[in-house]
Amino acid sequence: MKNSWTGGEAARPIESAEENLAVAVHRLEAGAFERLIERFETPLYSYAHSILQNTFDAQEVVQDAMMRAHRALTRQYDEQRCTELALRPWLFRTVRNLCLNKRRGKRHELEQPLANFDDGRMGPFVHLEGSDLERKQEVELLRRAIALLPVDARELIMLRFMEEMSYGEIAKTVGATEASLRGKVFRSLKLLREALEKKGVAYAV
Amino acid sequence: MRCRPTLTRVDALRTGELPAEEHRAVEKHLKTCKSCEDSAEDVERLANAVKALAIAPPRSIRESMRSTDFFDKVENVWVAFADRSIRMINGRSLDDLRSWYARRYGRGLEQATLPEPLRKQVVAALHGEGVEKPAIDLGDASELERSVLETLSKIPKGEVRSYSWLAAQVGKPRAVRAVANVVARNCVPFIVPCHRVVPAAGGVGKYAYGSRMKRDLLKREGVDVERLESLAREGVRFIGSKTTRIFCFPTCRDARRIREENRVPFHEAGEAKHKGFRPCRHCRPNVA
Repeated sequence: MKNSWTGGEAARPIESAEENLAVAVHRLEAGAFERLIERFETPLYSYAHSILQNTFDAQEVVQDAMMRAHRALTRQYDEQRCTELALRPWLFRTVRNLCLNKRRGKRHELEQPLANFDDGRMGPFVHLEGSDLERKQEVELLRRAIALLPVDARELIMLRFMEEMSYGEIAKTVGATEASLRGKVFRSLKLLREALEKKGVAYAV
Repeated sequence: MRCRPTLTRVDALRTGELPAEEHRAVEKHLKTCKSCEDSAEDVERLANAVKALAIAPPRSIRESMRSTDFFDKVENVWVAFADRSIRMINGRSLDDLRSWYARRYGRGLEQATLPEPLRKQVVAALHGEGVEKPAIDLGDASELERSVLETLSKIPKGEVRSYSWLAAQVGKPRAVRAVANVVARNCVPFIVPCHRVVPAAGGVGKYAYGSRMKRDLLKREGVDVERLESLAREGVRFIGSKTTRIFCFPTCRDARRIREENRVPFHEAGEAKHKGFRPCRHCRPNVA
């Protein structure tokens, strides 16, 4: 784990197999692209959903991003570029750009109260053990609270705490410096805490 | 370190992303400041809570992106296909098909049987017969590629056109080189008859499987290649009819039935128009 000011190796190092996933896809190894999808579809979808707050758009964006990634890795990038590629930030950045394009198209419909876009078709929770109803409710509250935040706070919270990216990787994904991101992440958390309190949850989850 | 810089760093501290001295400074401050310590705990709590927010996409993306297509051998060519349409044809070998397919679509190929109606159409197309062409899927081909291949398919059997004619037909009269490159990269040869395009200067020109094969293909379709070459040597590019005052490409079916005594050779379209001839509506030599 690198620990310098600018360094930004993964906070939790990603599996070593993944390091070469880009190269494997580039070499058209059997099942490589399936592994890539398997590994990233849930995080990317959750991220896209956090930005767009819409099931269908998020699905479309992730699919489009995967297609672009496949095209780039197999046909546009040479092997060296694939070797050097920081796959995770690259994929998230692709999704991010596509999401922002999508938002630009519907600027006026967005940023409305949560009730208007929470369509209740969020898909199954992934990390939810058992059928603990109380816990489910807490997660639901948290989700609603996050949906109330501005979009940049939403996406930072997802990248940092759901995907557990290092500040270095987030910097690559959203295009900001690590120092500024530390402040932004803290402010986002503060907003989240305020949103939770507004919902009457003092110490949620 | 004071409270504000500490707070922005508690999260990085959590994952050990701070440089050593800052790490120590933040820890030191947290020990002395109760409110910052509470905030740090809160950050930890929220961070752990958010992990549960991952949601799986409603439809698996893998399902919607199939990653192999199929191949089959029809007569002596290899055919790559998917979803009831032809995606690529190769007359050399399976390995060659695989490598071209991977380069273009980034996918592998699995053995499968070509569905019957499609197979019949392919066989007919290979013999230069059949009215109905098999369905062709060009994937993410460019606008130019699509229009070039579409125009190519309209050149009738037994006739040839020039590259400049083709470029003009697709509305890019100045992009002859680019159009010729698209023809050279034709991924469904035989079905889209790229062999029916020849250089205006004469000869049959180059071909992916060798000029010899191009010549044989054209001969089999009934093109009088030798005659075409002797015309080209004299610089004749169009044939007019004295009786109808219409001029055509020499291989146009209307030109072929002009009687010997009524034939008028032309070197260029302007010359014919000047003499009061109009271009044929079938082979459209005016745009060349």
